[in-house]
Amino acid sequence: MAARIITNSGLHRKLHEFSSGLAKLPSGNGIIRTAATALPMSDFEIQHKQPLVKKTKPIPVALYGGRHAVTMLPGGGIGPELMVYVKEIFKYAGAPVDFEVVEIDPKSDESNDLEYAITSIKRNGVAIKGNIETKSESTGVQSRNVAIRNELDLFVNVLHCHSYPGVPARQKGIDIIIIRQNTEGEYAMLEHESVEGVVESMKIVTKSNSERVARFAFEYAKRNNRKKVTTIHKANIMKLSDGLFLETSQKVAKDYPEIEHNDMIIDNCCMQLVSRPHQFDVMIMTNLYGTIVSNVVCGLVGGAGLLSGKNYGDHYAIFEPGTRNTGTAIAGKNIANPIAMISASIDMLDHLGHKQHSQVISDAVRKVICEDKLHTPDLGGSASSTEIVQRIIDYILQTDTRAW
Amino acid sequence: MSLIRINPLRILNQVPTAIFTRNIHVTPAAATLTPRQENRVRCTLIPGDGVGPELVYAVQEVFKAAAVPVDFESFFFSEVNPTLSAPIDQVANSISKNKVCLKGILATPDYSRTGELQTLNMKLRNELDLYANVVHVKSLPGVRSRHTGVDCIVIREQTEGEYSALEHESVKGVVECLKIVTATKSERIAKFAFDYATKNKRKKVTAVHKANIMKLGDGLFLKCCEQTSKLYPKIEFEKLIVDNCTMQMVSRPQQFDVMVTPNLYGNIIDNLGAGLVGGAGVVAGASYSADCVVFEPGARHTFAEGVGKNIANPTAMILCAANLLNHVNLGSYGEMIKNAVSKVLHDGKVRTKDIGGQSNTQEFTYAIIYNLKPVST
Repeated sequence: MAARIITNSGLHRKLHEFSSGLAKLPSGNGIIRTAATALPMSDFEIQHKQPLVKKTKPIPVALYGGRHAVTMLPGGGIGPELMVYVKEIFKYAGAPVDFEVVEIDPKSDESNDLEYAITSIKRNGVAIKGNIETKSESTGVQSRNVAIRNELDLFVNVLHCHSYPGVPARQKGIDIIIIRQNTEGEYAMLEHESVEGVVESMKIVTKSNSERVARFAFEYAKRNNRKKVTTIHKANIMKLSDGLFLETSQKVAKDYPEIEHNDMIIDNCCMQLVSRPHQFDVMIMTNLYGTIVSNVVCGLVGGAGLLSGKNYGDHYAIFEPGTRNTGTAIAGKNIANPIAMISASIDMLDHLGHKQHSQVISDAVRKVICEDKLHTPDLGGSASSTEIVQRIIDYILQTDTRAW
Repeated sequence: MSLIRINPLRILNQVPTAIFTRNIHVTPAAATLTPRQENRVRCTLIPGDGVGPELVYAVQEVFKAAAVPVDFESFFFSEVNPTLSAPIDQVANSISKNKVCLKGILATPDYSRTGELQTLNMKLRNELDLYANVVHVKSLPGVRSRHTGVDCIVIREQTEGEYSALEHESVKGVVECLKIVTATKSERIAKFAFDYATKNKRKKVTAVHKANIMKLGDGLFLKCCEQTSKLYPKIEFEKLIVDNCTMQMVSRPQQFDVMVTPNLYGNIIDNLGAGLVGGAGVVAGASYSADCVVFEPGARHTFAEGVGKNIANPTAMILCAANLLNHVNLGSYGEMIKNAVSKVLHDGKVRTKDIGGQSNTQEFTYAIIYNLKPVST
């Protein structure tokens, strides 16, 4: 019980002692040595660069003459081709957005590109990204996706899972919002081999982050007229960490009496999802459970190619396809499903306030997917990616909108 | 006749060609797309004083010939003719609704009849918060001038500094004029300059200042530019004192890329730059706020002597209009007009008097119309 009472700053201090202890370890411990020296910034520093610790001053918004500047990180695999489609669609829909494209070399051990990408997002405030590969096997090079989220403190990931009528799927009429803590938990990247053959991986849960996520979830539910929030946890086993997460969300729930709140253990949750998914409305959970649950639900509604995810922090927002798969195997074959990236771009337009343009594009997408039933092979269709994009553009051109 | 001209251009603009050339799939829907009258852009138009109305007429002629889908909402707006001028709220509302505006130059009297210190131009800028003025000083083909290959962008803060309109006579014979510099606005303009440089793939940003004398005011501006430059590791940043800058501009203007300046220095450098590449008739500019853009000639001269003589050079105004088209996603029309302008100037057969020719405004406009050739995007 005493461990749970440790305050936020106390925890930080403790971790700091722990990490500075690492440097003093004898040189026999090879793994940690390389991890500490190869990085320009230690894992500890990246984990803790949060506005709570380091207050950042807001940078003026990149909006000039009604046009937004947005960072575009095409990433690897099918990312670059999908970005070309997004640009084309934006051109024909007249979306007033200018992209600043930043390429990150997946093979490089250097983090220069990554740092530049992060700086660019800081300047523009908003980004759209594909999945960025980290091919380097050196333990010193961390996952770039994780690094971007941590550095920009994008503490929450929102995945709106909804069925498309007309798409063959195991379950019909699903409409679930998955809200996932995105910067701590199992993804804290604090692992070490304490004794030869024994590896410890730390899962960090902080009260402040749990509260931010819970607050975000309830606000989101309120704004979008949702009725119920379900907290997913494993507090029966991890009594302190998941216990803290659960306790915090229960406390926040008291401020929203009009929204129903319940909780569910992760294993039960997975079973319920595949058997009776319609009981869920808004779900909040820690990092690892989030990635599992969102992949389960994506599978239920028709695969990785349809849904888009949103990452929010206090200052920045990143939009990306819902499940983080690179799709290297199908790159360049013109069969990748472009819908996920296009709906990420629709989310982005919504976020920037260009509701009219986002409406035009999402109507066109809906017509193509649900009415024309034009699908790529991953949904059992035979259309190519360009055919789908072409059809979407045709529908966009039919609507009466302003040219920009 | 006009219908025949419209249709091929529409098709070129609207049928996607760039990446889909492999794709022979054409839906019946795409074939019925051509007559889309609704999809037009509305734009506020302020002809301005002096030769403004003549220049705007030239633009409208070119737009008509190129079948540009833009509708103008025209306002007579003038400080020297206050009785006929449209009220400022009406003009500002129209601009904030349409988000784009094409504007001629407003004449500003040297003395104030009403005792008011703000000019109409300043009022409009403050009303819409048009904080960033961009002037692209670029050597044009076929226009003879002292320097060739000049290509620099002058970005000027235009809502504070010396133009704050805060002047008073504290004691008889002593007038104080306040120059206001704020960190918020300096950061904003610095970020604008660097973002503009990033978007247009420029390499260098030069901050122009006089911080050796005005250590606090210009010092703050310079500090904000320096701080912002740290967010842009791929763009070179340098600083230059304004007096040296003007000397460098007339001796070696090619060294400059993007320049970011406070209000008054920017005004001077704009005009200096315009002088380098052929005068007030050939330099296009634009003023940006977060939400809207006003496209106007870069050097602010009304050319009142030339009114009604059919001799003014419409190049600047037509280039402004082309930039406007690029801004509102009608890039193919914009490029078409720009190409026609540079073709006419390059051929050199039809030129107005200010750049050494014998032709009049109308002949020059017709020459541009004659050279309009569709470009594929």
